[in-house]
Amino acid sequence: MSDDGRNTDMGANQGVRLLLARATAAETRAADRLYGAIADVAIDDAVRMDDRTRLRLRAVLAQLAGGVETALRSHAARLLILRDEAGLAARLTDSPTPVFARLNASGLLRDPALIGELLARVREDAVADALAIVAPDDPDRPSLLPRLLHHANPLVGASAAALMTAESRRHSHAPVGTSPSSDLPAELHHHLVWWSAAALRMAVADNGDGALWALDSALAEAATHAIAAYVEEDRLEAVAMRLASALDPDADARTRLLVEALSDRRLSLVIALLAQGLGLEYTDMREIVLDPGGERLWLALRALDLDRATIARIGLALAEADPQRDVDAFADVLDVIVATDCTVARQALAPLRLHREYRAALRAVERGVRLSLPSGAMSG
Amino acid sequence: MSLDDPELPTTVRATLDSAGRLVAADPRLLALNARAGGMIGAPLAVPALARTVRHALRLRVPVSRTVIVAEGGEDLDLWVRAEPMADPERGGVDLLLVGWKARDVWQPAVLRGNYHHRFRHSAAQWVWETDSALSLTRLSERATVSPDFDGTACLGHPLTRLFALAEDDVRAFPILSGLALRQPFDRQPATVRQTGQMVLLSARPLTDKHGAFCGFAGAACRTDAANRANTNLPSLVSSDLDAFTSNIAERLDRTLRMPLDRIIATAETIQAQADGPLRQDYADYAADIVNAGRHLVGLVDDLVDLQTIELPGFTILPQPVDLAEIARRAAGLLRMRASTARVQIDAPAFEHVLPTTGNARRALQIVVNLVANAVRYSPLDGMIWVRAEREGAVGAIIVGDQGKGIALADQARIFNKFERVDPREAGGSGLGLYIARRLARAMGGDVTVDSAPGQGARFVFTLPFDARDMT
Repeated sequence: MSDDGRNTDMGANQGVRLLLARATAAETRAADRLYGAIADVAIDDAVRMDDRTRLRLRAVLAQLAGGVETALRSHAARLLILRDEAGLAARLTDSPTPVFARLNASGLLRDPALIGELLARVREDAVADALAIVAPDDPDRPSLLPRLLHHANPLVGASAAALMTAESRRHSHAPVGTSPSSDLPAELHHHLVWWSAAALRMAVADNGDGALWALDSALAEAATHAIAAYVEEDRLEAVAMRLASALDPDADARTRLLVEALSDRRLSLVIALLAQGLGLEYTDMREIVLDPGGERLWLALRALDLDRATIARIGLALAEADPQRDVDAFADVLDVIVATDCTVARQALAPLRLHREYRAALRAVERGVRLSLPSGAMSG
Repeated sequence: MSLDDPELPTTVRATLDSAGRLVAADPRLLALNARAGGMIGAPLAVPALARTVRHALRLRVPVSRTVIVAEGGEDLDLWVRAEPMADPERGGVDLLLVGWKARDVWQPAVLRGNYHHRFRHSAAQWVWETDSALSLTRLSERATVSPDFDGTACLGHPLTRLFALAEDDVRAFPILSGLALRQPFDRQPATVRQTGQMVLLSARPLTDKHGAFCGFAGAACRTDAANRANTNLPSLVSSDLDAFTSNIAERLDRTLRMPLDRIIATAETIQAQADGPLRQDYADYAADIVNAGRHLVGLVDDLVDLQTIELPGFTILPQPVDLAEIARRAAGLLRMRASTARVQIDAPAFEHVLPTTGNARRALQIVVNLVANAVRYSPLDGMIWVRAEREGAVGAIIVGDQGKGIALADQARIFNKFERVDPREAGGSGLGLYIARRLARAMGGDVTVDSAPGQGARFVFTLPFDARDMT
């Protein structure tokens, strides 16, 4: 205990200030929690993410942001050191706040395109992982993709190799900050890079003052580099489509390829083969394949003139892998699916061949009208 | 008769008509179905089987799944395959049931046997997968982007294009026995062809629902680079193995401690119901999680200690240590646990002093271990005596309990690695006494036991007496 009353008072004053500051912060946090709870309770159970998907989605987001962040930090720091700005370089590499936390707090990650893409990716991974592995009839015969390496068409071989590489990359679940590739569509990758550069800049600026133009220019240059170095054609989705196009199978071959790709748990190839056959984009076909309701998928399978047994196999395999699906409901409609004329099925899917943006705009307008109707009805 | 009887056939067949009614079945299924209230001519009464048959009938494709079927007090694991008959006139389903074994009571992964694989994967430089023809189908990202190694070119090709396999130290190829028996294999020495890097491969077989082999899912661990540079002889493999095992504790510490700390902290929060009220049994489950987590952290601590004391030339710098004080502190640390177990600890009196040389922290670690053992094996309302005495040139702590004692034959065994005083008893890593003795010997002392069954155990921990301190 100190005899010096002055010191004790100063300590007490400081303590009071800290306490008051923390009390203010607590008030803000309580409000945040309340609004979080309001947002949470308002979500309809039918559209709520399950816990596993939410966790995985957050992990993938953190992993992507971490990878971009590591690349930006190290490249910009190298540039700063070259420009005799070692102090700034150290501040950049030492700033502790992860970009992900800052981006999340800023609300930039509430981007429907980004989250939509990642959610679909997480769902695809989950279903692919849960697909039942099926032993081949001949254990000495290599599985589908290794066999395709030796295909007469060299483009098929190269695309099969690229698909195995892309799937290995996607499934390795590398630790945060170690994966240099986001595997995102180019436009989303560009957004993420610029956002991350801005978030890094803010983090350094928070840690002190001084002229930061050198930092701005280094970060912008690092971001440009990261964007230029990104090869969109290496994305898993692009590679799978390339392989499907190179294979360009006839109806019989497509049936065989679909069944075997499913047994090998190569869901990306299944999606690409269906998309290629129907002239759709991978993203659209993925949405159709992953939709637990399955109605559009049944139409798509029928539009490709697949036989009853193949449709049943595909439906069964997906139902066994995805607990949200209902085998009995599928069995109920199977005969109707098979009875559907293949031209009719094709026509039903035709709107999917319209421009993506146009379809998105149509949906947005429709959704807006639907949401505004009840209140309009009340006031009227 | 138990359905789990090993004498009974584990492949069972049945036939059902197009309406899913049972036409014929092997006796084992008949019995199971009858106990569930079913009979010939009626649909199967076991819900999971009936569902599988219904799906095969409606989809008209083979349906195979793993199902769990309740039978008496047991749950059975079954592989079921329902195959629509080829002859459309008959239109029924052939049912095949394989496996037929009682579902295991839940066990921690460490006892289930796949623990080693998880552990290896945590340390692996990369993980890989093959198909049944041993063509490489997956490689982890680290193997595809490392600057000195691009595994991409090997994807789709035989595993042996990536790795040149070598004999292990008993001149065998573990991968071959793994392949022949469709079993996990471990420590298969190999060289990465592209880089000359020595690695050890381990893998488990991938099987489909019927147990048919679909390939291997494995890991490759780089062996110590320094050893590789020094020598190129066949003996290299075993020296690499030493380097490999000596890192185990470090890796355990790195890979396990943080997640465990987080598990314990979170479970403690749940147990304390800090975020709001909770049903009591859930709070109690959280307490179980905390206990299991602490046990695992203790195990990690032990293994890290183990690695330290097994380093060549491990010694402890001698300093003055008051063993009587150590005994009092150990007793104080464990008093709470003892009172929970309704055991009393009788520690040396406050004025008692016993000067020795050693390291106070390590000495405390040893005595805590001995007293904790005594608490664990003491009967209810038992007493533990902790005495500090001089015995000639050594100072000794004697820990005596009223437990069931240790048979003469076991007295040497319990100081070995991974041995326990009572192997049937849960808890403990089996490293405590081994570490205690190694530490004591490194300080110039020892840990010994004398005991007879039924008369309690008496552990004696000695350190060199410090005659200088007699003044």
